[in-house]
Amino acid sequence: MAVEAQVPYQEAIEVHHPHSWITKYWFSQDHKVIAIQYGITAIGVGLVALALSALMRLQLGFPDTFDFIDPEAYYQFITMHGMIMVIYLLTALLLGGFGNYLIPLMCGARDMVFPFVNMISYHVYFLSVIVLLASYFVPGGPTGAGWTLYPPQAILEGTPGVDWGILTMLGSLAIFIVAFTMGGLNYVTTILQARTRGMTLMRMPLSVWGIFMATVLGLLAFPALFVSAIMMLLDKTIGTSFFMPAISSIGETLDYSGGSPLLFQHLFWFFGHPEVYIVALPAFGIVSDLISTHARKNIFGYRMMVWAIVAIGVLSFIVWAHHMYVSGMHPWFGFFFATTTLIIAVPTAIKVYNWTLTLWRANIHLTVPMLFAIAFVITFVMGGITGLFLGNVIVDVPLSDTYFVVAHFHMVMGVAPILVIFGAIYHWYPKMTGKMLNDTLGHIHFWVTFLGTYIIYYPMHYLGFVGVPRRYFANGDMAIIDSSVEMLNQTITVAALIVGIFQAVFIWNLIYSYFRGKDSGHNPWKATTLEWQTPETPPRHGNWEDKKLPTVHRWAYDYSVPGEEDDFVPQTAPQTGSQPAT
Amino acid sequence: MAEATGLRNLQVVDDWAADVEVFRGVPWGKAMMWIFLLSDTFIFTCFLTAYMTVRMTTSEPWPNPSEVFALEAFGVPVPLLLIAIMTFILITSSGTMAMAVNMGYRRRRGPAALLMVITALLGASFVGMQAFEWTKLIMDEGVRPWGNPMGAPQFGSTFFMITGFHGLHVSAGVVYLAVVAWRVWRGRYEKQGYDIVEITGLYWHFVDLVWVFIFAFFYLW
Amino acid sequence: MAADTGQQHPISVYFWIWTLLFVFSAASYTVDYIGFQGYMRWTLIIIFMMLKAGFIVAIFMHMRWERVALITAILVPPGALLVLVALMAMESDYTWATRILYFGEDPAPVPLPPPSH
Repeated sequence: MAVEAQVPYQEAIEVHHPHSWITKYWFSQDHKVIAIQYGITAIGVGLVALALSALMRLQLGFPDTFDFIDPEAYYQFITMHGMIMVIYLLTALLLGGFGNYLIPLMCGARDMVFPFVNMISYHVYFLSVIVLLASYFVPGGPTGAGWTLYPPQAILEGTPGVDWGILTMLGSLAIFIVAFTMGGLNYVTTILQARTRGMTLMRMPLSVWGIFMATVLGLLAFPALFVSAIMMLLDKTIGTSFFMPAISSIGETLDYSGGSPLLFQHLFWFFGHPEVYIVALPAFGIVSDLISTHARKNIFGYRMMVWAIVAIGVLSFIVWAHHMYVSGMHPWFGFFFATTTLIIAVPTAIKVYNWTLTLWRANIHLTVPMLFAIAFVITFVMGGITGLFLGNVIVDVPLSDTYFVVAHFHMVMGVAPILVIFGAIYHWYPKMTGKMLNDTLGHIHFWVTFLGTYIIYYPMHYLGFVGVPRRYFANGDMAIIDSSVEMLNQTITVAALIVGIFQAVFIWNLIYSYFRGKDSGHNPWKATTLEWQTPETPPRHGNWEDKKLPTVHRWAYDYSVPGEEDDFVPQTAPQTGSQPAT
Repeated sequence: MAEATGLRNLQVVDDWAADVEVFRGVPWGKAMMWIFLLSDTFIFTCFLTAYMTVRMTTSEPWPNPSEVFALEAFGVPVPLLLIAIMTFILITSSGTMAMAVNMGYRRRRGPAALLMVITALLGASFVGMQAFEWTKLIMDEGVRPWGNPMGAPQFGSTFFMITGFHGLHVSAGVVYLAVVAWRVWRGRYEKQGYDIVEITGLYWHFVDLVWVFIFAFFYLW
Repeated sequence: MAADTGQQHPISVYFWIWTLLFVFSAASYTVDYIGFQGYMRWTLIIIFMMLKAGFIVAIFMHMRWERVALITAILVPPGALLVLVALMAMESDYTWATRILYFGEDPAPVPLPPPSH
């Protein structure tokens, strides 16, 4: 039914134009500046995590070679690498970075609904990063409890960083959640309440849908992490026993009694599983837009895609304990959680089919963003299928805590979203800076990253099958370890170092193109969505012309429409009447 | 779009299918406050779930809250006397808050500000009584976060954590109310309208709402 | 946004709800005072709690007068919490049962519900 056009509240808002350097680039309230701040911080801290993974690989590939890596340091690398990658890089970059940049532009808003809160959100996030990195400068160094921070071991003697590292880690997480909440409330409210005229929810680009659902998941799932972080802080500092049972440590009976370590695992994964989709859903959305734009074809099954995103979001709250099959939880839970886990594969598979069908007989342009998008689909299928293995209790039990699990989650929620992030940066960099990224460097970066990750993670599945346990500092002379493991570990390490070093090509490309890149024009990819229709590139503070927001007349995927002159029709182009309305 | 059929006649479907905004006529601040409260609901429920879990799993006796929180009045121990008073105070503050919202929308900013100040004062007295309750528990009953003489140590841990977190919410609410009341009094919202009073009210009622659950699950269970 | 979109209701409604909240609070307090135990106690407490919570949300927070879009958006997501609570209740029963099994008798003077399996 026709929707009566209401006047968007933002139409009349005057945006305040800052003049000093500080208010323009540091304490800016412009969502685009905040997005880039989030992006740079996240990539910066991500490079730290990348360096940590290189150190871990050095140890695994060539044990007994590097004196400065002892078991303690190794566990600290694991913990910091995992936590940084999942929370401070992926969550922050996809939601704080792309969410901030794309939501107002793609919805046709001037800015987030509360720009001031948005600004604070970034600076609190920055603080959380500082507190996290401070772990390396406190006595004892960062915690080595593993990124899941399971008690009781996380706060007992013998775990590295038990004195200070665990405190900075938990504190940093709590601060991050505050930052995320301030940002997330803005994203959700902007999408729900501040779209432009004609922009219905079912006309939104899938990027916005993915980011929206992921933010909702974040707002509802991070509380569980917040609560468990607070309770563990109390256990550690004032000696409560929420998670700590009666226990003796190094021959000494401790004062704890009656707490439940399983409670922590449940709360953690009640957050942790939605977290997987907080990372995945924005990637799903963005990759849909990349594929559609660069294949010059409308996305196949748009409504199905939207409902799949919603269904995945809902289901992600009832699958959490599939991370806990070997934890000693209630034996009935295995059946329940295996079932829900396999059900969630259905909407996910729908999305994969739809991406494939979008590519089917499309006018595919193998641009760098498109290469990354296709690489994502392949990698995601790989990781997803191994996820079905691990979702079944009976298969999971022998594979638990082996390299099979490491390979699975790195494929599905490590490499796959990172590939999308690369693709998205190659895609939107022209809008952010007005310059194209260098194509040759992009191709080099893509092929090394894509092929390299397969050399890294394919063998890990095999390592898991032959029983190599994860999180081990060194395998030593264990009889169960096959002789092939050593050679494979060395291969993986070499590949990982090469891939890691080649990320410098990407960083260099970002810097080089900013100064020397080709001018991109307003719409280099000939895309339909609103962010490419701004009057200026990069868009100014306020995004659109004064007192005038764009009006949306169609969905975001009018590519190669028969009878149209161009092979794309922007969302702002009025319907001509001959076509069916969408 | 297609012709109106079945579902599309429903107002809720119509709203979700609309452009510009889903919650028609709802100011941004109010939408954002509702979503924040939803998120906060998850925080408090996680706390209460943790409490449920440690209480159900402990094999030590759980102290009887009815006795622990009894207060002597005229020489007779009355169970939960202070808690009852605190509950009534918080409900009353919710009532005054609701009336402040009403006055705000009638653009009677004097009474609105006054009612908000009364709400804040009631809230402050709630926090004061909580401080008294904590003191009594710590000094007289010997309850500590890490243990107590009556049984399961989780009794003290969950009590201090949950009521403490709720108390922080009340304290933050008192400050929030005071600031908004001052601005209402100064006439700052004359032009843009008095939605802010309702938004503040939502937060305050939520704090009251949480207390309803804490009262039932912690003190009465 | 314009102030006329706000919630405007007669004051008497608030007085009514105020009174009702007092009554329900007093009622749940009485449950404790009389000393009901077991399922009787828990059922009554939960009923009064839900009534109070319902009235606060519906009237004081004006949910009753909001459009269905907002009501669904706020009231549906906590369903996820019900799953969490239900499963954690089962889990706790199981943990408790294993503790009793491996570490001995439950000395709790207040009888806990028997494990449901």
